[in-house]
Amino acid sequence: MLKKSVLLLALAGLSLSALAAELRVMTHSSFSLPKDRIAEFEKQNGVKLSIVKGGDAGEMLNKLILTRANPIADVVYGIDNTLIAKASAAGILAPTSSKVGRTEKDAQLPGAVAVDYGYVTLNYDKAWFAKAKLPLPATLDDLTKPAYKDLLVVQNPATSSTGLAFLLATIADRGEDGAFKWWEKVRDNGLKVNKGWSEAYYTDFSRNGGSRPIVVSYATSPAAEVFYSKEKISESPTANLLLKGGVFLQVEGVALLKGGKEPQAAQAFVDFLRSDGVQTGLQTKMWMYPAVAGTAIDPVFAHAQKPAKFSNPSLAAMNGKTAGWVSRWNRLVVKQAN
Amino acid sequence: MNRSLALPALLPLAFLLLMVAAPLARLLQEGHAGFSLALLQDSYIQWRLLWSAGQALATCALALLIGLPLAWVLARFDFAGRRLLLRMLMLPFVMPTLVAGMGVLALFGPHGVAGVNLQDTPWLLLYGNLFYNLPLLVRAGVDGLEQVPASRLAVARTLGASPWRTFWRVEWPVVRPWLASALCLIFLYCFAGFGLALLLGGQRYATVEVEIYTLVAYELNLADAGVLALLALGVGAAVALAYAALERGITRPQRLAPTLRTPAQGWPQRLLLAAALAVLALCCLLPLLAIVWRALQADAAVWAMLAEPEVLAALGNTLRFASAALLLSLLLGLCHGWAAQRWLALRALVFLPFMVSPVCLAFGLLLLYPQYSASVGLLIAAYALLAYPFVAKGVLSAAAALPPQLPQAARTLGATPWRSFCRVSLPLMRPALRRGLAFAAATAVGEFAVSLFLSRPEWATLTTLIYQHLGRPGAANLQLALLLSCLLMLFALLAFVVIEWPEKNHARAD
Amino acid sequence: MLELIDLSLSYAGRALLQGVSLQVAAGETLALLGPSGEGKSSLLSLVAGLQRPDAGRVQLAGQDITRLPPEQRHIAMMFQDHALFPHLDAAANVAFGLVERGTGKLAARQQAVQMLAAVGLAGREAAAVHTLSGGERQRVALARALVCQPRLLLLDEPFSSLDTHLKQQLLADVRRHLTALQVPALLVTHDRHEAFALAQRVAILQAGRIVQHGTPQAILQAPASAWVARFVGLDNVFDDHAIPPQAFVLGAGQPRRDIIAVEAQADGWRVTVAGDGGQAWQLLLGVRELAGQGAPCVGQQLAIGLDRRQVLYW
Repeated sequence: MLKKSVLLLALAGLSLSALAAELRVMTHSSFSLPKDRIAEFEKQNGVKLSIVKGGDAGEMLNKLILTRANPIADVVYGIDNTLIAKASAAGILAPTSSKVGRTEKDAQLPGAVAVDYGYVTLNYDKAWFAKAKLPLPATLDDLTKPAYKDLLVVQNPATSSTGLAFLLATIADRGEDGAFKWWEKVRDNGLKVNKGWSEAYYTDFSRNGGSRPIVVSYATSPAAEVFYSKEKISESPTANLLLKGGVFLQVEGVALLKGGKEPQAAQAFVDFLRSDGVQTGLQTKMWMYPAVAGTAIDPVFAHAQKPAKFSNPSLAAMNGKTAGWVSRWNRLVVKQAN
Repeated sequence: MNRSLALPALLPLAFLLLMVAAPLARLLQEGHAGFSLALLQDSYIQWRLLWSAGQALATCALALLIGLPLAWVLARFDFAGRRLLLRMLMLPFVMPTLVAGMGVLALFGPHGVAGVNLQDTPWLLLYGNLFYNLPLLVRAGVDGLEQVPASRLAVARTLGASPWRTFWRVEWPVVRPWLASALCLIFLYCFAGFGLALLLGGQRYATVEVEIYTLVAYELNLADAGVLALLALGVGAAVALAYAALERGITRPQRLAPTLRTPAQGWPQRLLLAAALAVLALCCLLPLLAIVWRALQADAAVWAMLAEPEVLAALGNTLRFASAALLLSLLLGLCHGWAAQRWLALRALVFLPFMVSPVCLAFGLLLLYPQYSASVGLLIAAYALLAYPFVAKGVLSAAAALPPQLPQAARTLGATPWRSFCRVSLPLMRPALRRGLAFAAATAVGEFAVSLFLSRPEWATLTTLIYQHLGRPGAANLQLALLLSCLLMLFALLAFVVIEWPEKNHARAD
Repeated sequence: MLELIDLSLSYAGRALLQGVSLQVAAGETLALLGPSGEGKSSLLSLVAGLQRPDAGRVQLAGQDITRLPPEQRHIAMMFQDHALFPHLDAAANVAFGLVERGTGKLAARQQAVQMLAAVGLAGREAAAVHTLSGGERQRVALARALVCQPRLLLLDEPFSSLDTHLKQQLLADVRRHLTALQVPALLVTHDRHEAFALAQRVAILQAGRIVQHGTPQAILQAPASAWVARFVGLDNVFDDHAIPPQAFVLGAGQPRRDIIAVEAQADGWRVTVAGDGGQAWQLLLGVRELAGQGAPCVGQQLAIGLDRRQVLYW
């Protein structure tokens, strides 16, 4: 029985690779699209989509860089503005463009074709603040005050892209030294660090059994809370805390890989990601805003405010200095205290 | 004899060469230009290394201190549900770290049932380490103590030794190699620890493996990562060699004499049993129960999601990958364990898959075999790599306990070495083999480092699915993840019970 | 039938066997008698093929089998602790060799059941090994060895763990089976009673060498050395001679000798008297020999003479 299934599995693998054309798409692990859209694409273009998940976006990019001599994919989705300069510098991307749609003003991603964008920012637990009768912090500096001791949880930028985005926002807003001064103060005010978004959101955030009512998350998270609520609720239990220097714009895009096969299908895939079906469908799958201007926004996004301002360092700075910032951050925040 | 052992050694050696040595070498080669030992003078790195080793040693000591008395009680007293309890002890192994953390926090978190918030204290860090590692030690202790023949215990008692003295003079020497192997494993796990301790104790408890992970996966600093990985490998190898040397002194127990196991009699014994079960439940089972309890509060709509195709597909994948990995593990483990009887180095190599930094391995494999990087074959090989040491370990200890005249008798009765292995040695090793397989299954079902490898959406297992849902906000995602965790536990428990189904003639042996 | 030619074997620098040559004729039982730990079991391992000799040859029915693996030799062996397979029941143990030799499983089991009945274990086919008594295990081991009709049977101290009564009974059984099946056998033992009761010929192994071989009578009548004389059970062994029990003459007219020591035995007394030339003589005296005299005790005297023709010299 077992042997048979192993054999079948092997055969299945063989038969897939035996199909005429296969488009290898590398994505980060959060990639998700409606199944019928993918089937539609395969049918229309006569290719088999072979989606390979390479871990977190940063990890995925490094895997692509390491294997550039023998590209393991033809097209990559999920490289964002924190990584695009690194990808370009490594020379793994082929020039990519798309004639489909016009890109939103905010969602620019030079070197790739933008697909979606979103904002990393603070979320807070409404019930907790109502119960504690504590006014919401008005600035990031408020978070260093005794009244807000032990309230914030962030992700380690060394292991999490949301954590990294938040760190970058603070640096863009205050400059490197100013930012690390703030981090030192907030560290001494009971900052909690966890490994990744899931860990922070599901073990530290007060909404999910933790003790921290403020968490680094996405601006769309309150909308997702409504979408994935148990019974239909009309108001999200969480909300965005849009503070100056605490909002980072993240733009994700798609690009062809140098040395990739099936360039035609790859280009079709790029256009496909910009098509209205995908741009509409990705919203409640990946919880990002569509990059193509004029796409209808899902009504549930009404529960999430779109930040008016954000703080991003320049693309070049993010490529050259990120590793040093992350290392400095870890030495300052993690080693000294927690 | 020598030759007949060399042949089976070839298969695991080739496997380790292809799956561990070559990828690691390839990764080191990629980064070798920038090798610099200056890294080790960095106080931050020194601190990480010391902390890694220190907390691993502390966990070993603690697990031994708590686990050995528990193992003794479980080995000597009979009670209803004993066998099921031993199977359930392996469940912590399959729990995704994040879910386990949620279970622990449901007990000792800010809003936990216990009423005290231990989050971000060293207590919870220790607790988290015990949750995963105590079962390893307890199982090994029980297995070892069951090798002590009842007659030997009786002799010691009639010679005037108190139970306490009997333990130290008769049982301890027999159980020691078993404990040593478990401790070696616990050390390696904790040294390269990535998960629960960090989640519960806080980020400052990060091990050197976390550093390596960041260097490789985020900074692509292969030079520094290589230096650290080699250093970690050196520490792991030293520990594994020490263990292998220790195990050389494994005693040859008499198999025919069943061990003593009686129901607890009188109130001191009953109290002892109750206390042991309570400690065990507290350390290993309560967090799981908390997960079940939380999951059971899920709404009907979420329950209904269990029947969705993606869940069924994940269940199918879990079953398929785990069984394929188990088959491969069985083959590799048998060959490696059998051949390792003779060679110390081969015995130490059993632990090699746990000594190498998983992230280095994943990237090395990617560099070395880009064309197979997203193939089912490599995926299953990776699962098997992390699972088969358990089988090999089981075979190794069982082979050492095998009376040599039994295969000899088979030979004089006309059996070729191969037939004698199949008809005598193998059946006699079966209980140990099954035990090893159960742990291997736990590894293959659980997450472990396989998440570092390339994956495909259509390969999603239960564990991947759980993490997918915990990657999005919302109560329904949380509830479904918890329900899926229960499903995973149920599935794993079923697998353990089937794998370790008691055999007629060996019913007493487990 | 079996011929051992100049076999030598050493282990860890110690010579276990040094140029051992022996022959076992068809249908004959040869006992190899020697003290424990002197390489007897190693010799059996060489014959069985479980070990290779450093030098020398093993021949069976004229064929050199020195390099033949054990399974191709058709030589059965009974191990010291029986080496029954604990995962198989009694009948499956017996059937093991039959299956290896190509008998179908069902047929093998039938034959095994018959063989078990022949050794007195009817009805115990399905018994698990660890539930069998010592004697039963012994019989299962015998049945397992004989059922394949081996060309030769090797017995490695097979009775050492049994009590005296059981041992007698089993010795008789084994002898009966060996005779009935006409299987030649090589028995290794440190117990001369076993050797003399079972074997037509006895070879004595001392420090890895055969120091004497012959029929039990021949050895008892002419031991080759003081060591052999002592080893085969003579009590009164001196530098160049030994006095066998039958050389002592009791009764009136014999010189009276002082009793030096008395030791009670199950069937009489072991009495030590002052012999000729300062020798101390040990005699085993039954109630019959001491008719009417009551228990001997130290300080009394006994009339004991010596029939010098019966004294053994070497």
